Amino acid sequence: MSALQKLSSSLLKESIANAKCAAALIHTTSVCEKTQSGRYRITTKRNKPLTYEMANPPHYIAHRKSWNSWNTSTMLDGLRPSQTAIEDLFIRKFINGTWHSLVCSEVIIKRQHNMIRIAAIMRQAISARKMYFLIGYTEELLSYWMQCPVTLELQTVQDKNDVVFKYI
Amino acid sequence: MSSLSRLLKSKKCVSNYGQQIRVFSAQASPNGNDVEMDDEEFRVLNLRASNQKQLARREFKKPEVMPPRSLKMATDQDWTAVWPGPRSFHPASVPLPIRQGFTVKGAAPPSKYANAELMKIPNFLHLTPPAIKQQCEAIKKFCTPWPKGLETEEKWKRLFPVDVVSTDYCQALPTIRNPDARRVTITLKLSELKFDDHAKDKFLRLVGDRYDSETDILTIVADRCPLRKQNYDYAMYLLTACYHESFITEPWEESKSEADMENYKYERNKSKLSVEQILNWGNADSSDKREASTGYIESLENLVNGGENEYSLNKYKEEVIKMIGLRQ
Repeated sequence: MSALQKLSSSLLKESIANAKCAAALIHTTSVCEKTQSGRYRITTKRNKPLTYEMANPPHYIAHRKSWNSWNTSTMLDGLRPSQTAIEDLFIRKFINGTWHSLVCSEVIIKRQHNMIRIAAIMRQAISARKMYFLIGYTEELLSYWMQCPVTLELQTVQDKNDVVFKYI
Repeated sequence: MSSLSRLLKSKKCVSNYGQQIRVFSAQASPNGNDVEMDDEEFRVLNLRASNQKQLARREFKKPEVMPPRSLKMATDQDWTAVWPGPRSFHPASVPLPIRQGFTVKGAAPPSKYANAELMKIPNFLHLTPPAIKQQCEAIKKFCTPWPKGLETEEKWKRLFPVDVVSTDYCQALPTIRNPDARRVTITLKLSELKFDDHAKDKFLRLVGDRYDSETDILTIVADRCPLRKQNYDYAMYLLTACYHESFITEPWEESKSEADMENYKYERNKSKLSVEQILNWGNADSSDKREASTGYIESLENLVNGGENEYSLNKYKEEVIKMIGLRQ
């Protein structure tokens, strides 16, 4: 009897070893479908300022707000979508770093043919002279890196509270 | 002790060696030395800083900003000069009370100032009707008159039967090349080409499913070459080659027997002999031989090619009765 038990236990071990990879595939925890990106938490004091862009979560794109990047790469069968996305990311980082603490909105990048038009809302915290310098500097460097003409189309606001849509 | 440390700091004491000895003695310093020190007041570090004067900070003066120029615009200004080309929306340049955005019920949408949504959407402020009219006037000198004799579609369809379709792509990329632009489609109504029976049959076999029998349109798509011009040349070559090839009769085509024919034809069938034999029964004169009527031939071919149904059978019956001259 014991010999039979031994035999069966060894057989069992073998069968478990064989079935291990299959058993590992079964996932029993509940599905986590929480989506967090682009959504903001409500503060206890309800004093967190949100712009219009931030106030509308991503599923409202094309309903209440529109895209921040406009190009043909994102359309069906569009060419070089990855390069365009990386370039847009780089442009956003460059603008946010060059116009440090001045950018009050999202950086909007519109491409037409080989032209890149960048729109944003800036704070009037620096003199007009510095602002003109930064515009030229940004356009010159970006057009050198992207190898196509870049235009900056800025709007300025007196105070950063001007762009606040609501407080949560 | 405090006086001792003060003495140590004093430069005067260091320079005078005789006095320095006295400094380290435990005795109190003589009065004469104190009198000497009164001449120079020590600086005292006041840690509380209660009586320190607050330094006046320089006021940050915000640079003066001009009021939006839309306030100063005349109602009869030249708008095409204000907004000559495509540009993101700018509230100070557009004298319109525009609002955009979704708000709670009853509240007004966000105004045009500091509104990023208005900057995102493409606008057509540079394509107002006067601007389009101006641009049309400007390019008018490059236009040539429409060629005479091609006024209606019927006319130019007759003179130019081949349609060439290719696609240009406008894309937001640093390059203007698009690999899909190389594709060339040629369409042609087959009735425009002149064929004999054999050539038409062979042509249709050569082009295969590029021919649509319902619309009688032949479509050739060329996309195997990298450039559009090459593809166009190739498509035209295909059309020409197929057309001329269809007129060549190869020696092996002669061996096509009646069983290989795809259509029933009265003329080349044995039924013709049989029908004429019946019609000329007892008529030995070879000069006036009766032949089958065209109605009979048509109905027979319809019956065999189109399949038997009630209509074709009845038609065949009528034609036979009419031809032989039987009474109903």
